[in-house]
Amino acid sequence: MSEYSVIGKRVHRVDGPEKVTGSAKYTFDLVLPGMLYGKVLRSPHPHAKILKIDTRKAKRLVGVKAVVTGKDTLGHKQGIWRRFPELCDEEILCREKVRYIGDPVAAVAAIDEDTAEEALDLIDVEYEPLPAVFDPLEAIKEDAPQVHDGIELNININRHIEWGDVDEAFKKCDHIREDQFKCSSQAHVCMETHDAVVSYDYGGKMTVWTSTQSSYYIQRLMADMTGLREGDIRVIKPPTGGGFGSKFELDSAQFCAAILSMKLCKPVKIVLSREEEFTATKRRTPMYYFLKLGAKKDGTLLAKEARVITEGGAYTAMGATALYLTGFFSSFPYKYPNYRYDGYRVYTNTAVTSAMRGFGAPQSTFVGESQLDMMAEDLGIDPIEIRRKNGMTPNYEVPGQAFIQSCGLHQCLDKIEEHVKERGKLPPNHGIGVSAYGFMSGGIFNWFDTPYAFSAAVVRINIDGKVDLFTGACDIGQGSDTTLSMICAEELGVKLEDIRIHAADTGICPPDLGAWGSRETLMNGNAVKRAAAECKRQLLEFAAAKMAPNIAYDFDIKDRWVHLVDRPERGVSYFDIVKEAIRGKDGNAIMGRGHYTPHRKGMISPAYSFGVQAAEVAVDTETGRYKLVNVTTAHESGTVINPVGIEGQLEGAIMMAGGYGFCEDQPMDEGKILNPSIADYKLIRSLDMPETDILEIDTYEPEGPFGAKEAGEGLTNPTAGAIGNAVYKAVGVRINDLPITPEKVLKALKEKEKKKK
Amino acid sequence: MIKDFEHFAPKTLKEALTLLDKYQDEAKIICGGQSLLILMRQGLVAPEYLIDIKGISELSYIKSDGKGGLKIGALTTHRTIEKSSQMRDGFAVLAEMETRLASIQTRNWGTIGGNLCHGDPAGDPAPVLIALNATLKMASLKGERSLPVEDFTLDYFETALKTGELLTEITVPAPPAHTGTAYTKFNIIESDLATVGVAASITLGAGDSCQDIRIALGAAAATPMRAKKAEAVLKGKKISDALLAQAGETASTEADPISDMQASEEYRRELVKVLVPRISKEAMARAKKA
Repeated sequence: MSEYSVIGKRVHRVDGPEKVTGSAKYTFDLVLPGMLYGKVLRSPHPHAKILKIDTRKAKRLVGVKAVVTGKDTLGHKQGIWRRFPELCDEEILCREKVRYIGDPVAAVAAIDEDTAEEALDLIDVEYEPLPAVFDPLEAIKEDAPQVHDGIELNININRHIEWGDVDEAFKKCDHIREDQFKCSSQAHVCMETHDAVVSYDYGGKMTVWTSTQSSYYIQRLMADMTGLREGDIRVIKPPTGGGFGSKFELDSAQFCAAILSMKLCKPVKIVLSREEEFTATKRRTPMYYFLKLGAKKDGTLLAKEARVITEGGAYTAMGATALYLTGFFSSFPYKYPNYRYDGYRVYTNTAVTSAMRGFGAPQSTFVGESQLDMMAEDLGIDPIEIRRKNGMTPNYEVPGQAFIQSCGLHQCLDKIEEHVKERGKLPPNHGIGVSAYGFMSGGIFNWFDTPYAFSAAVVRINIDGKVDLFTGACDIGQGSDTTLSMICAEELGVKLEDIRIHAADTGICPPDLGAWGSRETLMNGNAVKRAAAECKRQLLEFAAAKMAPNIAYDFDIKDRWVHLVDRPERGVSYFDIVKEAIRGKDGNAIMGRGHYTPHRKGMISPAYSFGVQAAEVAVDTETGRYKLVNVTTAHESGTVINPVGIEGQLEGAIMMAGGYGFCEDQPMDEGKILNPSIADYKLIRSLDMPETDILEIDTYEPEGPFGAKEAGEGLTNPTAGAIGNAVYKAVGVRINDLPITPEKVLKALKEKEKKKK
Repeated sequence: MIKDFEHFAPKTLKEALTLLDKYQDEAKIICGGQSLLILMRQGLVAPEYLIDIKGISELSYIKSDGKGGLKIGALTTHRTIEKSSQMRDGFAVLAEMETRLASIQTRNWGTIGGNLCHGDPAGDPAPVLIALNATLKMASLKGERSLPVEDFTLDYFETALKTGELLTEITVPAPPAHTGTAYTKFNIIESDLATVGVAASITLGAGDSCQDIRIALGAAAATPMRAKKAEAVLKGKKISDALLAQAGETASTEADPISDMQASEEYRRELVKVLVPRISKEAMARAKKA
């Protein structure tokens, strides 16, 4: 990596000083003069008709400034699948019907939070409860209650992926396994709950400060829902306390604050409580998985069939994408010559399921990697060997779906094999489980129907050499501000401290799809690199004119030194060239624009990263309790831009995916989530974290900026499968439904004991 | 939302008791607030008056009872107990218990008296104090009385404290010679409440027979409870693995746990069955060294 002066270096986050000193101002911290506080009234019923809403008493409460209901909206149904109006099915403020416990029905603005909350109790809503349905396997029955009128069998959407001749291929297999799995729900549990401050002024312009993963999406969706012009809405994302997939759709905090502010022409702030965050925002999609896998005796996988029924909850949200991606990633990271997937997303009267870090792939990786280990055991083949035999390789085409350029899966397998050997002979009831995975670097699909480039950036150089970088990328804690600043500095040939990033403010930044699908490093990185290159080109014109070499040399900039490529010692200071260039352009600042939209890259993503993880557990066979001893990940993400960032992603992913495998769940009773607090919702904490290690594999992705690709969500994919396989290795029981709790392990151990007798 | 309340911050026990006498059931005592504030935020408790006794420094102490035992003021924080040099030998189990009670932040502010008065059957201190045969001192304007810890909790979140009464002190007697005490809890997340907790105190007699034993269970019934039937299995006998297993079986039968999100009733019984022998064995090993 020595050719780079910024990229690959261990640097502090550009937003680090503010965050570690507590001085960063999140949406949660914002206070505007005259600001009011809003609260949202939510349905206590899983399914009911709204007969009447009486807000008179609430309006009379001293301190209450406005109460709004669905009648105060345009009545539009919204959704992020804008290209498919039938999938835009969520009103946010319900007018006629509520479909889950937590569906918003009214909102209040008052002088303080307590008054607003008191006013909620004074709103009289008359409901007519309707029969409700909670389990997707129940909801697809003929006589099940209909969550949305006219939707047959409550099937929201189905997805089919197929290549090869699956039925023929199964006939040729020596061994076939059929297994069923159940993947549980998971909450995002962002440190910062959903919140927004919305200020609508008498001039008809709206400003929204909000904790979001996409300021452009919120701007566009808000325009759809309020009737305002896109350009009259400015969305600003202050520092943000986490997203993980929960914050790129228009939510009740944003929309209700906007409607109230429009009514009052005063700023309104809404911060969702932790309970609302658990019950009335979106969550990971629970899935029933039915898998059929066929192989030759030697371990060659010939065919796979995956059938999935997902619990949709009340609305479409991003669930359609999760349904597609779980089907696509069910084939990962292997070369199946024959593959078939059928997925059904089913409406239920439960909290909406949508995007969450990994976006359908943690589910498919858990079930797929569990079943692959079972297959390997049936055939008497080592788990790593069967993965090696079938694993994807560079320049592989997933038939009709995707083209994979860089792929370091096999190097990852080699590294993990070494690691397992190094652990040596394990103590009794210890086991190491292995799980392989891949993930995309941003999605190609445009269901949002943006007319703009997927990513764009503007770079402007000031007279003192300081560089303003404008991008719509959203740093939600994952570190894109730092990564993109590094890319900009490297391309321009300056130092990281020369860059000042202005991100995710639609008033000054170009539109951008935001932070989801692990897209920012590759897509925004490309846009930033191109914008910086354009600035550099302009500077080098002046350099060439100034230095006037007698033969044509190429020029470049590195470490603030503008020089001849072949004679690096001959050059001038970057600062001098900037000054002269700006004067030479009649005072016009040096500006460059760049954009990136993937072209001719298949249907899913321009690039894929890969990895293999080994989890070691120690099981107490009398209680079923197991401890995560060590999690080691061999990981390739192309060129590493920010190594500290990748370490953070890895540790965070193990905490999140370890929790998914081990303890996180959202049990319900008649559609009511029973553990809507951090006391009752079990998250892995610092004391529960295993030792973690990362083995970075060198690859280069031609499509990525400086060869980089995804390093965010993919790391969430392998852990649940690795834990499941590790428990099996340790004590010989296989748990097919998440989370793999000690109670389930003990029950399985006892059943195994019984069978022996 | 926490409902409005009036807040008092007495500086002496006398002042606190006077306020308590004045406001009776409309007042709640708050000290560390680690349990009460959660209930208040959930709207489960909405007192008119909060009597905040955190500032009564006379109730925060650890001292000798003059007979080899300890007197612990009710306002002593968990962290103080955890770090106290007096928690050695027969009392070391108290510090061990504290290191696993919630997080350091909670231990820094929460108090042992507050934990007991909260009456949560999953609390860590009660089983250990029951095993150590500790007693509690309660004060009111009318005077003082004492009660063994095992009789203090009456039901879920309900204690023997009468209106106007305040818990002031915990007395932990000196353990008899050749006594060992141990505690463990089962939980999914390290810093979490117990799914099941078990404490055992064993006094060995001649020939290493079990002269006396006290087994206490947490989160295994509506209150922290003594597993007396299990004790009877072992008392007076020479302890063997088979006998320990039998004691575990017995304890799991006499326990009366509930099913909730954390564990089913059956699983809790199973945990009692496994943990009672385990922790008794540990107590015995300690008794041999004592």
